[in-house]
Amino acid sequence: MTDRERYTPGPARDAHIRQEGEKWTLILVRELRHSPEKVWQALIDPAHLREWAPFEADGSLGTVGATVKLTNVSAPKLHISEATVKRADPPKELEYNWGDHNMRWQLEPFDSGTRLTLWTNIGRRFISMGAAGWHICFDVLDHLLGGTPLGRMVGPDAIKFGGWQRLNAEYAKQFDTKT
Amino acid sequence: MKIKLTSVFVDDLDKALRFYTEVLGFAKKADFSNGPYRWLTVASPEDLNGTELQLALNDNPAAKTYQQAVFQQGQPAANFFTDDLKADYERMKAHGADFTMPPTDVKYANIAKLNDTCGNLIQITQLARY
Repeated sequence: MTDRERYTPGPARDAHIRQEGEKWTLILVRELRHSPEKVWQALIDPAHLREWAPFEADGSLGTVGATVKLTNVSAPKLHISEATVKRADPPKELEYNWGDHNMRWQLEPFDSGTRLTLWTNIGRRFISMGAAGWHICFDVLDHLLGGTPLGRMVGPDAIKFGGWQRLNAEYAKQFDTKT
Repeated sequence: MKIKLTSVFVDDLDKALRFYTEVLGFAKKADFSNGPYRWLTVASPEDLNGTELQLALNDNPAAKTYQQAVFQQGQPAANFFTDDLKADYERMKAHGADFTMPPTDVKYANIAKLNDTCGNLIQITQLARY
C-alpha cells in the first residue's frame, strides 16, 4: 500500500466560524512540524502550491501588489480567478484575495514547528465542506514538507475519498450546519 | 466520446438552482465549492446519469455580453425536449413561469419559450410525430 492509500485524516478539530451579517468566515488552525520559513515557501511558491493547495498559481504570492492568476483545479472545467497580494511579511503574515474571497494566513513559531492559521470567507452552506477540504490539504502539506508526499487531494478526488465524507459530517455537527 | 456536459450562463446561482429545479423540474446533480468557485449542475430526473447542465455564473464581461446579445435576439440559450409540451407548459405556468411564447406549432415541432429569470430564454420543444 502507498502512503496515500494508507492515509486517513484525523478527527475534525481546530476550526471555527465567525458570522458578520451575511458574511461567514472560516478560521482554521493547524500545527505543522516544519519551520515558518518552510511553511511560508509552501504558501507562496507555485511549485509547492501545485502539490497541496486547491488552486494553482502562475506566479509567487510573496510580493505585495503582485497580481497572480489562480486556477481552480477541482471541477471538470478550469476556472481562473485573479489574486492581488495585499500583505506579505515573511514568514509571518500573508494576505491576498482569491476571486471575491479573502485569504489571510498567519504563521507563528510553535515548539519546533509552525502554528498556521487561515481566515477565509465562505458561503454558509459550504462551511463544513471547506473545513474538510482544508483539513485534508493541510495533512497533504505536512507530508509534503516532511519529504513523504501523499499527492494533492482536492475537489472530486477528495470528495470521493471516505475520510472527506466523515470530516464533512463531523464539521457540520461541530458548526451545526446541515451537510 | 460522449456529450456529457453543457452549460448556460446565469446571473445568480441560487436563483438559477431554484428555477431549474422548482420551475423546470430538473434535479440538482452536483453542488460543491472551492474558494470563490462553485460547481453546480442539474440533470433530468428521467435520466439522472445523462447529460448535465452546468449553471455557470456570468461573472466575466464576455459572458455577460454574450448572454445579453443572445437574449436580445430572442434566441434561446438552451433547448429542452419533452414528449408532452402542453402538460409541461401547464405545470411550469403553475409554478409562475413567464412564457414569452406559448406552445406554438412550427410545423416540424411544437415549441414554447420562457424566461429563466437569470438572463436567458429557454425553449421547450416537442418534435412532431410522423
